[in-house]
Amino acid sequence: MKRGPLSWLVLALAVFALAFVVLAPMWLVGTSSFKLPREIINRVPTWFPHSFTLQHYQKLLQTSAFPTYFLNSVLVAASSAFVTVILALMAGYAFFRLEFRGRDFLYRLIMVAYAFPSIVILIPIYLMFAKVGLIDTDLALVLVNVTFALPFSIWMMRTFFASLPRELEEAAAIDGAGRWKTVVHVLIPLLRPGIAAIAIFAFVASWTEYLFASVLIISDAKRTLPVGLSGIIGQYQIDWGLLLAGASLSVLPVIVFFAFVGRWFVAGLTEGAVK
Amino acid sequence: MRFKGQSLAGALALTVFGALPALAVTDVKIWHMEQPPHRVQRVQELIDAFNAANPDIKVSQEPQSWGEVYAKVPAAMAAGNAPDILFAIPDFTTVIRKAGQLDSVADFVKELDEKHHFIPATVEPYSYDGGVWAVPLYNMSLNFWYHKKAFADAGIAVPTTWSEWKAAAEKLSKDGVVGVGLPANKQLYTDQTTYAVMVNNGASELFNADGTLRFDNPKTVESYAFYKDLYKFSSPDAANWTWGEAEACFASETCASILQFSVISTYDQQGGGDAADLGVAAVPHADGEKSSSTIAYSNAAIILAKDAAKRDAAKKFIAFLLEPENYGKFLNMEPGLFLPVTADGAKSTTFWSDPLVVKYKPQVEQMIANSHAGMLFGFTGGHVFPAIGPISAQNILAETLQKVVINGEDPAAAVKAGQAQMIEATK
Amino acid sequence: MASKPNSSGRSDDRRIAVLLLALPLGLLAATLIVPMISAINISLRDIRVIGSDGPFAGFDNYARVLTDGTFWHALGISVVWVVGNAVVQTILALTAALVLNEKFPGVRVARVWIILTWIIPTVVVVIIWRWLLSPSGGMVNPLLIQLGIIDRPMGFFASGPAAMTSLILINSWRWFPFVAIMLLAGLQRIPNDIYEAAAVDGAGAVARFRAITWPLLQPTLLVLTVMGTLLSFNVFDIIWLLTAGGPAGGTETLPVLIYETAFKAYRMGDAAAMSVVASVLMIGLALVLLDRLAPKETGR
Repeated sequence: MKRGPLSWLVLALAVFALAFVVLAPMWLVGTSSFKLPREIINRVPTWFPHSFTLQHYQKLLQTSAFPTYFLNSVLVAASSAFVTVILALMAGYAFFRLEFRGRDFLYRLIMVAYAFPSIVILIPIYLMFAKVGLIDTDLALVLVNVTFALPFSIWMMRTFFASLPRELEEAAAIDGAGRWKTVVHVLIPLLRPGIAAIAIFAFVASWTEYLFASVLIISDAKRTLPVGLSGIIGQYQIDWGLLLAGASLSVLPVIVFFAFVGRWFVAGLTEGAVK
Repeated sequence: MRFKGQSLAGALALTVFGALPALAVTDVKIWHMEQPPHRVQRVQELIDAFNAANPDIKVSQEPQSWGEVYAKVPAAMAAGNAPDILFAIPDFTTVIRKAGQLDSVADFVKELDEKHHFIPATVEPYSYDGGVWAVPLYNMSLNFWYHKKAFADAGIAVPTTWSEWKAAAEKLSKDGVVGVGLPANKQLYTDQTTYAVMVNNGASELFNADGTLRFDNPKTVESYAFYKDLYKFSSPDAANWTWGEAEACFASETCASILQFSVISTYDQQGGGDAADLGVAAVPHADGEKSSSTIAYSNAAIILAKDAAKRDAAKKFIAFLLEPENYGKFLNMEPGLFLPVTADGAKSTTFWSDPLVVKYKPQVEQMIANSHAGMLFGFTGGHVFPAIGPISAQNILAETLQKVVINGEDPAAAVKAGQAQMIEATK
Repeated sequence: MASKPNSSGRSDDRRIAVLLLALPLGLLAATLIVPMISAINISLRDIRVIGSDGPFAGFDNYARVLTDGTFWHALGISVVWVVGNAVVQTILALTAALVLNEKFPGVRVARVWIILTWIIPTVVVVIIWRWLLSPSGGMVNPLLIQLGIIDRPMGFFASGPAAMTSLILINSWRWFPFVAIMLLAGLQRIPNDIYEAAAVDGAGAVARFRAITWPLLQPTLLVLTVMGTLLSFNVFDIIWLLTAGGPAGGTETLPVLIYETAFKAYRMGDAAAMSVVASVLMIGLALVLLDRLAPKETGR
């Protein structure tokens, strides 16, 4: 379709506005983490730094267990993503490739999972996990994170399964491949974009989770990034420089990570649908 | 599944070691809420020194945050994985007492008192119902902090009475400067500033001697009305303030004055750091009162451990902290914020030799002087009523203040409603 | 099942389905249903501090909670919160999705990086906005003054409505890109030739949107609305960390009230009763909404 100059202008404005809304806060936080404390809290803030210092980063890395928090978060998020993908694949196959009584009912039941206010189950889960010795373990967080990521992941699976023509599986079956072989050699490779999208969704969901991590984890050495950072915020003082450095350092690796896998997430969600 | 393996192995190790009768090393777990990294570091240094001197004891710390600890400690006690030592404040102690059986540490405190001489006001909030429930560790009191230069430029003397205070705030509030930074958040900081105003109008008692509430009285109403007058000169975002925002406002010189425990370390790092320009004074009192008072918090350690060996180890560590030489280092985990609770601690050379304390010595001396006139809501008049626990936890003082300064309710009506809410909370 | 030509298909399907669903459903049951049952048990007892025990109280807690104004007040705040988020996020996300569905230089990059705000942990979102909105060093006030929208610094959390608006905008800032990508996926599912046919018929951009885009986007929008409603109803951390329900209860949503009742007022029984009522409301809402989608869901 041809686009007139007015239409280009509207589009350009809209793109600029979107970019500003998303990027301007990032820019301010990132650049300000290099400013001297005085400039950070100045009544007249600056878009471009007038001073430069690495003191906030030095303080962050020297006095806090930031790298530990970071590694814990990566470990928990990666494990949660892995388990979510496996379980979502299992459930997805059952829901979208098999026929059995109660299928629709169960599928709907799973979507209802989000209706449970997480605050409600916080304490019962704590007491339950305490009984089985899961308090202060990464496994506890993985279990909770998978619980919250799974229903939506299963819903996303629907589109991916729907986009795969059944003929492929049928052809494989006719060729004599068993069900298991068909799944491993035909279905899973074709589902790859979807799997990537779900993995990233689950990773981000647990990467950002705060409430359960704050209560289920006790020792400093096992804290995840959000909880560790909230500790640095402190009760009686706010060291904005330190916090902005912490904010920047906790976002930067995800940006790098996303630079590699981000297109899979978007592609996984959008491309699967075009066919 | 390496997680499962790990926790299984852990469980196995627990059963194996748990079955062994006498362990060579006694573990002592500490939870405290001094979470900023440099404080954790200082505590760790002391723990390391203690562990090195006591090979049969292994102390470890897990810093927690005030935001979560109200949920976490009772849950941990119920689940049987509570710490052995818990740092607490008076009202939180009443909650912990309700959640589980605490053993009195009266004898231990007496023993320590003979050695170090506690300031009586710091032990009082923990002494009731025939026992002492925690060992005082450090004191904090609220002060009036101001920029000397800002006051001098405006030609204002440091206010000592309410009318002077209001006039000063009004005069200082121009060109984007906030005359006096006062919070109105539903949060502990606002409880503290509100009470600091009340206590300076003779409204220090929340309870009558028989335990009934006397919050709803004319003096309280006057205090709220005055807070409302002053709040007009506070920062536009003060409804969301905790301690940190107030300090940032002061350090950036947006606020000419604030009520705060200590601003020293923030002022030194993020503000100008000019010791000569940093003023500290007592919170101004109502025109009808003779002298100033303030809110003071005695922080203390609760011993939660039940096991005799653990209790002894915990006591040994607490006694170690209160030794003047260690105590100065301990207090200076946040120089200028934590004040000594013992007489010999107040003279500790390690306390006074800290570079920041040296630099801001007049200010620290003034803070200690102010703290002597300190009180804490619900812990005055020689009685402690456990009802203060939920009143404080629900921040009813602050919530009442919000009704007055944010919703514009009549102070008398809001205070009346506040008292009703307190009665409801303690049922 | 079509892929198996023989007739044993159905019973075979059933056996495999049981095997496949055991683990996912088992996990959800263990982490959601079991705790919920425990919450129901607590709600029927007079339990104060968490972990302590209390006598059986029948429906006393429910009666007290439901006759007390604070519960209904919090429910009202929750409705404002959920609707506000739904409206703001839908508008922002739909705009973003429509823009990203166009072809312009850099669109591929934009489609990936729009998601940036969603990958930031809530705690960091809170840090960022607390600083940006503060008068000590925050950029928002000076910017608004420069643009002539306000004439002196305003308090973004100074009153209930202001705080609610700020919270909704901050939460939407974090979530709208995710919704936008989901909508973009929905948009891309609309075949191009429909638009081309409509363009040939002389339909303008607005007419095309109303006749094609909007109706065909409905299923995606509906699911996202259901999800979004449930998810934003449950949002706790961002509200707790920014306003803790204040000022003067202006942002005290039901989860915040439940947390306060349990851990500040130490009335576990009351908190559990509120939780059960909230869950029933949410589950009911979810079932009603999903019922309208379900037939299309598992089918093909």
